[in-house]
Amino acid sequence: MKLNKINSAHESSLSLGTVPKKSSFNRYQSRAAYFLIAPTLILFVVFMVIPIGMAIFLSFTNYDIISSMEFVGLDNFKRLIDDAILWQTFRNVGVLTLFFVPLMIIISLLLAVLVTQPFRGVTLFRLAFYIPTVTSAVAASIVWLWMLNSEYGLINQMLSYVGIAGPAWLSESGPAMASVIAVTLWLGVGGNMIIYMAGIKGIPTQLYEAARIDGASSFKQLIYITFPMLRPTTLLVSTMTIIGALQIFDQAYVLTQGGPANSTKTIVYHIYTTGFEQLQMGYASAQALVLTITILIFTAINFKINHSKDQ
Amino acid sequence: MRKFRVGWMMLLGLLLSLALAGCSSEDSSNNESGSGDEKVKLTFWGDWTGDGEDQFNHMVDKFNESQDRIEVEYVIQEDLITKFMTGITSGQVPDVLLWDRWRTSLYAPKGVLHPINEYMEADGISEGDFYEEALKELSYDDNLYGLPLTVDTRALFYNKDHFEEAGLEPPTTWEELREAAKKLTIKNGNDFERVGFSLNDLGLFNMWLQQAGGQMLTDDLSSTAYNSEAGLEVLEYWNQLLFEDQVYKTGFDKGLEGAQHPFVTGKSSMHFTGPWDLRTYEQYSDQLNYGVVPPPAGPNGDKGAVMGGFGLAVPEASEKKEAAWEFIKWWLAEPENALEWGKTSLNIPGNKVALEDPFFQDDPFWKPFIDSLEFAKIRPVHPGYSVAEVDALIPNLEKFVLQEQSAEETLEKAQKEGDRMLKENEVK
Repeated sequence: MKLNKINSAHESSLSLGTVPKKSSFNRYQSRAAYFLIAPTLILFVVFMVIPIGMAIFLSFTNYDIISSMEFVGLDNFKRLIDDAILWQTFRNVGVLTLFFVPLMIIISLLLAVLVTQPFRGVTLFRLAFYIPTVTSAVAASIVWLWMLNSEYGLINQMLSYVGIAGPAWLSESGPAMASVIAVTLWLGVGGNMIIYMAGIKGIPTQLYEAARIDGASSFKQLIYITFPMLRPTTLLVSTMTIIGALQIFDQAYVLTQGGPANSTKTIVYHIYTTGFEQLQMGYASAQALVLTITILIFTAINFKINHSKDQ
Repeated sequence: MRKFRVGWMMLLGLLLSLALAGCSSEDSSNNESGSGDEKVKLTFWGDWTGDGEDQFNHMVDKFNESQDRIEVEYVIQEDLITKFMTGITSGQVPDVLLWDRWRTSLYAPKGVLHPINEYMEADGISEGDFYEEALKELSYDDNLYGLPLTVDTRALFYNKDHFEEAGLEPPTTWEELREAAKKLTIKNGNDFERVGFSLNDLGLFNMWLQQAGGQMLTDDLSSTAYNSEAGLEVLEYWNQLLFEDQVYKTGFDKGLEGAQHPFVTGKSSMHFTGPWDLRTYEQYSDQLNYGVVPPPAGPNGDKGAVMGGFGLAVPEASEKKEAAWEFIKWWLAEPENALEWGKTSLNIPGNKVALEDPFFQDDPFWKPFIDSLEFAKIRPVHPGYSVAEVDALIPNLEKFVLQEQSAEETLEKAQKEGDRMLKENEVK
């Protein structure tokens, strides 16, 4: 904490606000900085800020890409209220996020702790856990599609050996959602594991040494040293995972096409069909705006939770 | 200070050159079309890849060799319709477009396609040469927006060996279908060794409904019409198949493709599918002995099939519409070329004259499709139809086959949601 304060004090003396006016060197530096970030900034403005602004504007119109658009006021937002499918997709994704995010954090953290232990052959495991991440989501989903078949799939075959009659994973509402969550986890833990591994490498070893001298078990070390020290990493991972979960699309689409009975249909897919299949860009923008606000709220809550723990 | 000026100038210069590069590419494309005595170059967009690409290129090459004024190039655009939309806003559109016909009712009112009625008249092309339903699907407000490239429909594929073993004839009515499915199903406790009939595609409800004598939308296309006696009859029949006779289990063939497909492995005796699977099953002809018959008729003898397929269309923004029409006319309106297309691509061409050839008429696999096409009907021509079917009807049908809701509730909910979607997607 102390270190942080010193750091921030140090930073602020360099930052623009406290620069004595008319110091040509500082002005030179700040301008050089702007110049250097200009290419990125321009791309960011052109491909992010302007489109987001456009989308907000379009959500008040009946834009269909081709014909000239009309301003329709709040009509699109009124229509949202009755859009049963949109709210169902929100419910679906809400359920998914609720299970997915904690599982993702726990599993990837535990994996990272395991693969940073000095076992022999541990690199092999690191590689194995990471491979799904570099696999194309669509290709992996096609393999899972076969593994999850109710009659001939690997999963149900294995379950049948221990006397369990597995469900038709992808054709019943509950199991379908569980399958989507499991496959998405399988695809994503590797990447987050790497992030956690980097975090773990940054924890000073003397903390563990001190803990060992005090007689702390490895479980206690995990709870009282590793996890708290990784809080910034967890903030990053959880934020990315929440945003990712709210925007899930391809694996859910390949696995279930949103079925059965729309139980795994996701928000992004619904927005896409509204915009590009039905050519209702205005309304799709309004839907996207609701999603954006939802993401903002969840991210803010997440920051709040992680921040309050910091104090 | 001076250093900054240089820096800003460089940046400006960079931006300017980017902007110019953007413009110049448009310039060059305009020049191509403008040059006088050279060949007219046409771009043909589609999203068929692999075999489909070869089949298109075969026809394109033949056309290019057949004359020396026009040269066509096939360009693959994945995400075709999105590319076309963005192309319209930036002015970069193809001259010929592979067109998923059912989209016509949504796009034609917006004026993105060019009507071909005048060309048809001037060249004396008779509409009677083509499937009427396919032309209807390509029309809006008395204007025709393209010619049919392919027509397809579903027919009943059955395993001949299974039928012989059980001493059965291929079914021609719902009653016979049910009897056959019941006899062909083999169960081992609760597990299926073989399903008699795969009721795996609930999207075919439209076809079943026609067989029961119903229709999807009212005649004036203003609202859904499937919540009817006929609709209930279909669901009652499905209920008999799935839960009384237990000839199929939902999810049985999910995720199994190609060599693992239950129909190929002999784990399923019958299912509905389209002509595209003739090619697939040909690869497994050593293990699969199958036949095809038109879809069975409903309880009152009503026949029903749904026609789909592709067309070729000319975008309104193309500057070479006449040359584009020449190409389309050569390919689809001249029976020998349409036939060549059908034979090489193994698609059913939309040109009926071409279909009189023995290649289609005397083939036991093609014939049932040609026969089904005689009574096949297109999907209702309403821009909101596909939305209502996919988002309102099918999810409710899925709940029905999972026994989560009754037949009455299924159709009532589907009607309520479907009607709202039709309204929201009306052409204003």
